[in-house]
Amino acid sequence: MNEKLELLQGTLDLLILRTLLAGPAHGHAIAGHIQRTSEELLQVETGSLYPALHRLEAKGWIDASWELSDKGKRARFYRLTRAGRKQLASERSKWDAFARAMGMVLSHE
Amino acid sequence: MRLPAFLRKLSWLFQRRDREAGLDEELRFHLDEEAEERGRDAARRELGNVGLIKEDTRAQWGWTWLDQLAQDLRYAVRTMPRNPAFTLLAALSLALGIGANTAIYSFMDALLVRRLPVADPASLVALNWHVSGNKRLRNSVVHNESGFVHRDPRLGLVTGIFPYPAFELLRKSVEGFSVLFAYHPAEKTTILIQRQAEVANGEFVSGDFFPGLEVAPAAGRLIFADDDRPGAPGVVVLSYGFARKRFGDAALAPGEPVSINNVPFTVIGVTPPEFFGVDPGKEPAFYLPMHADLLLGGDGGSGEYLDDHYYWIEMMARLRPGVTLAQAQAAAGSIFERWVAATASTAEERANLPEFVLKQGAAGLDNLRREYSRPLYVLLGMVGLILAIACANIANLLLARGAARRREIAVRLSMGAGRWRVVRQLLTESLLLATLGGVAGIFLAIWGVQMLTALLATGSDFVFRAGLNWHVLAAAIALTMLTGLLFGLAPALRVTRVDCMPALKESRTGERPVRARLLFSLSQALVVSQIALSLLLLVGAGLFVRTVMNLESIELGFQPEDVLSFRLNARQAGHTDPEIISFYRDLQQKFAAIPGVIAASSANAGLIGDEAWGWAIVPAGTPPPADAPTGHGDFSNTATHVLATGPGFFSTLRIPILAGRDFDDRDRAGSAPVAIVNEEWVKANLANRPSLGAHIVSLWPGKMLMEHGKPQEMEIVGVAKNARYDDLTDVFPPIVYLPYQQNTGVPAAEMNFFLRTSGNRGAVAGAVREIVRQADLRIPVTNLATLHSNIQREIGDQILFARLCTAFAILALAIACVGLYGTMSYIVARRTGEIGIRMALGAPRPRVMWMVMAQVMALAIAGLAIGIPVAYASSRLVESLLYGVKTNDAMSLAIAVATLACAALAAGFAPARRASRIDPVVALRHE
Repeated sequence: MNEKLELLQGTLDLLILRTLLAGPAHGHAIAGHIQRTSEELLQVETGSLYPALHRLEAKGWIDASWELSDKGKRARFYRLTRAGRKQLASERSKWDAFARAMGMVLSHE
Repeated sequence: MRLPAFLRKLSWLFQRRDREAGLDEELRFHLDEEAEERGRDAARRELGNVGLIKEDTRAQWGWTWLDQLAQDLRYAVRTMPRNPAFTLLAALSLALGIGANTAIYSFMDALLVRRLPVADPASLVALNWHVSGNKRLRNSVVHNESGFVHRDPRLGLVTGIFPYPAFELLRKSVEGFSVLFAYHPAEKTTILIQRQAEVANGEFVSGDFFPGLEVAPAAGRLIFADDDRPGAPGVVVLSYGFARKRFGDAALAPGEPVSINNVPFTVIGVTPPEFFGVDPGKEPAFYLPMHADLLLGGDGGSGEYLDDHYYWIEMMARLRPGVTLAQAQAAAGSIFERWVAATASTAEERANLPEFVLKQGAAGLDNLRREYSRPLYVLLGMVGLILAIACANIANLLLARGAARRREIAVRLSMGAGRWRVVRQLLTESLLLATLGGVAGIFLAIWGVQMLTALLATGSDFVFRAGLNWHVLAAAIALTMLTGLLFGLAPALRVTRVDCMPALKESRTGERPVRARLLFSLSQALVVSQIALSLLLLVGAGLFVRTVMNLESIELGFQPEDVLSFRLNARQAGHTDPEIISFYRDLQQKFAAIPGVIAASSANAGLIGDEAWGWAIVPAGTPPPADAPTGHGDFSNTATHVLATGPGFFSTLRIPILAGRDFDDRDRAGSAPVAIVNEEWVKANLANRPSLGAHIVSLWPGKMLMEHGKPQEMEIVGVAKNARYDDLTDVFPPIVYLPYQQNTGVPAAEMNFFLRTSGNRGAVAGAVREIVRQADLRIPVTNLATLHSNIQREIGDQILFARLCTAFAILALAIACVGLYGTMSYIVARRTGEIGIRMALGAPRPRVMWMVMAQVMALAIAGLAIGIPVAYASSRLVESLLYGVKTNDAMSLAIAVATLACAALAAGFAPARRASRIDPVVALRHE
C-alpha cells in the first residue's frame, strides 16, 4: 500500500485533463484528487505538477482564472477548454489501446 | 479566449510581472493548503526547491531563450566598453568590410537581380539574332544597320536589331507571344519647351509598347496603336523626371506644345516615376510613336519601313501563359529564319544567315550587364576578400581576448554552465559586435552608393539605379550575421575547451596556457591567410593602376590641353542645306574672335568617345573593296574613318601636317573638292606612290555623297600625322579628312567646335553661350568641356575602377597590418617572462628584437608563399580588364610583395621594440 508508483512519462498531462473533466480545480486539489482516486498509489510531485499545468495552459488545453476556494482564499483554478476535451478523448483512447496491448502481451501464456 | 499558442505566449511575455506574481501566489497557496493537512515543515519538505519549481514552470511559458539572450546581451553590452580599443577597431573594420560589400552588392542587385518595374516582368522576352564564329555583318543580308552589335564569345556577333518587315511578320504570326512591341532610340534630339532648348535622348516606340508593358500613366495618356501610323498627329509622352524638370509638375505637362528637332509635337501624357523603358542602363526623357520619325525625317524616310535589309528596330514580347522560352524560340525562330532566308540574294548572303535567339527579358535589355558585370564581379571578389581579412582579424583578436578570459570561462564552466551555454554567450558577444559593424556598414554603404553613382555618372554613358532596397538590406543583414558567426565561432569553441582546474589555478594576469601552442598556431594561420589575401588585392590594384597609367600615356596625335570643346546641332533647330554650312562657318569665325581664344575649328564628330563616321575611300581607279558598303557603326576592315572638318582644324588641334597644307577658307562650295589623309591611310592605300595631288573616290552609296549618281572624287592636298579619332586604345585607323564646307561627306548636321584657349576658360564658355544664343535661341550648347576631360571621361570607368581597387588594397593591407601588430603584441606580452629570463641570462637587446622580427618575417614569408601562386593564377580572371599589362606582370607582383613586406615589418617593429625594452627585473617579478 505504501509503495508509490512513479508516473510514466507523459501520463501526468492525461491525469490532469481527466481530473478537470469533473469541473474546475486548483493545483493542490488536482494533486489531491489524483492521489485519492488512485488510492494513494500515484503521488504527484509538486515540482512536476505546476510546470505541467502551465504547459497545458500554453497549449490551450486548459484555461486558468483566479477564484475563491471553498475556504475563501484566492486560488488559481484550471478548467478544460474545448481543445482540452478533444485532446483528452484522443489521449485516452491512445492510453486504453496501449494498456490493452500491454495486458495482452504480458498475460500471454 | 482561444488564441493560437504563439499569440498566447506573446501576450504572456507582456504580462510577465503579473504572471511572476501569480506564480508566487499559486505556490504559496499550495503550501498553505498542504500545511493545513500535515503541518508546515512536512509541507515545506514535500514542496522541495521552490526556486527550481518556479524556473521549471517559467520555462513552460516559452521565453527562456529570450531571457537568456537578454542576459547575454546585457553582459555583452557591459563588457564591450571595457575594451574600447578592441571594440572600436573590430567594429570599424567590420563596418568598412560590410559597407563595401553592401555598396558593391547594391550595384550587382541593380544590374543582375532587379526586374523591370512593370507588370509580370517574368513573361517578357527580348528578341535577338546572331551569326556564329568570326563572321561579320558584311556580306550578309544586313545591308545597312543602326544599333548595337556586340561580340559574344559563345554566339559570335549578337544583336537585337531587326528590319521593320520582320517585326510586322512576327507580330502577326507567332502564336506564343501575347504581344510583340518594338522600339528604337531617338538619340541626341533637340527638344524646345517654352523657349528653352536642350538635347535629350528619347525612344521611338511602337503602338503596343505601353499596352504591352502594362504601364499606367502618371498623367494624361500613353501612346496607343492609333498614334503609331504614318500621318498621325505628332504626340509625345514625357518621362516623369523630365516632365517634373520642365513643367514643375507632371500633371501640368499633358496638352503642352513642345518642339522636337524643330517639329511641333503635343505632350499627351507622362510615364510613372519608376518607369525607365526596357533598358536599365538608359533613362529616356521622352517617348515618340515609332512612325513619328517620318515627321522628324528619319534615317531613310518611309523606305526604312519596307526595307528588308535595313536592320534598326529592337523588339520585346510577352509569352502567353504556359508557353516556355524554348517553345517560343522554336516557333518564332523558324518563322524569322524562313523569312530572312528569302531576303538573301547571293550565295554569300545565304551562307551568312542570322540565327534567331530569344533571351529572357524580365530584367530588361542586357547592355549594361554585359558592360559592367565583369568589373563588378571583380570588385565584389575584392570586397569579399576584405571582409574575410577583417573577419580573420577579429577572430584573432577574440582568440587573444578569449585566452585572457580563460579564468572567467573556467569559473562559469565549473559552476555548472554547459559548454553550449558559454559558447552561446560568446557568440552573442560577437554577433553584437557584428551588428554594430553592420549598422555602421549600412550607413557607409548608403554613402558609398551615392558617391559611386555620382562618379560613374561623370564617366559613363549608362544610368545606374543602385540603391538600398529590401533585398540589399536583407543581404547586408545576412552578411552581418554570417560574419558574426564566422569570426566568433572558432574562438568560442576554442576557448571553451578548457580544462577547468589548471585554468582556475592560474593567476589573474594569466600564465602561459597549456594549449598555448595550439592557440598560437590558429592565430598565426589567420595572420598568414590575411597576408596572402592582402597580396591578392595588392597585385590586383597594381595591375589596374598600371592599366590606367598606360591608358593615360596613350599617344593621341593632337594636343588636348587647353582646348575647349562643345557641340551644336543647327539642323535639329531647323537649319537646312546650304544655309547651315554658312551658319556654322560664321559661328566659327565669331568664336575665333572671342578674347582668350587662340584658334578655333570644328568637326562633325567629337574625336574621342563620340560616334565616328566611315566608309570606303580609295584612290581613283582602284576597284572598290568587296566589303565596301558601310555607314555608321561596325566598320569593315577596309573602311576609312571620315571626319568633316572646318578650316584650321589641324593647326587648332596641333596635328602636324607632314606634307601639303591645312584646310582653309578656299575650300568651300564650288571650289575643287579636296581631302587630307593621314599616314595610316597612305600606308594602306598608296604604298609608294606620291600622295599629294592624287585623286581619291568616296564609295558610300548614300544619296548625298554621289554627284549625279557617280562617286564623289577629291584631290589630296595634305598628309597629316596619325591622330586619334573614335577609339582611344586601338591602333591608329586610316582617316580621310574632308572640309565640311564642300559638303563632300555626310550632310552637315551636328558640329563639334574646338577652341584653343589661353587664360580664363570660364569667360570663353560664357562668350560661346552668348554668341550661340544670339545666333539662334533654339540651339542648345551641349557637351561643353575641355577635350582633355573628354578623354579622361573615356577612360573614366577604368580610372574609377583602378582607384577603387587601390583603395580596397590599402584597406586590406591596413587591416592585415593591424592583425599582425595585434598578434605580435599579444605574443610578446605572453612571452614577457621568457624574454625577461633570456635577458637576465645575458641576451642582448638587438638579439631579442631580432627574435621577434624573425617571427614576423616567418609569418610574412608564409603568407607570401601562399599568396604569390594564388595571385598569379587568379590574375587571369581580370585579363579582359587590363590594357597594356600582362596578367603575370612581374612589376606589379614585385611592388605588391615589397609593399606587403615593408608593411609587415613596420607592423612587427613596435612589438619587437617593446620586447627589446623589457626590463628583466620587472619581467621576472611579473611572474
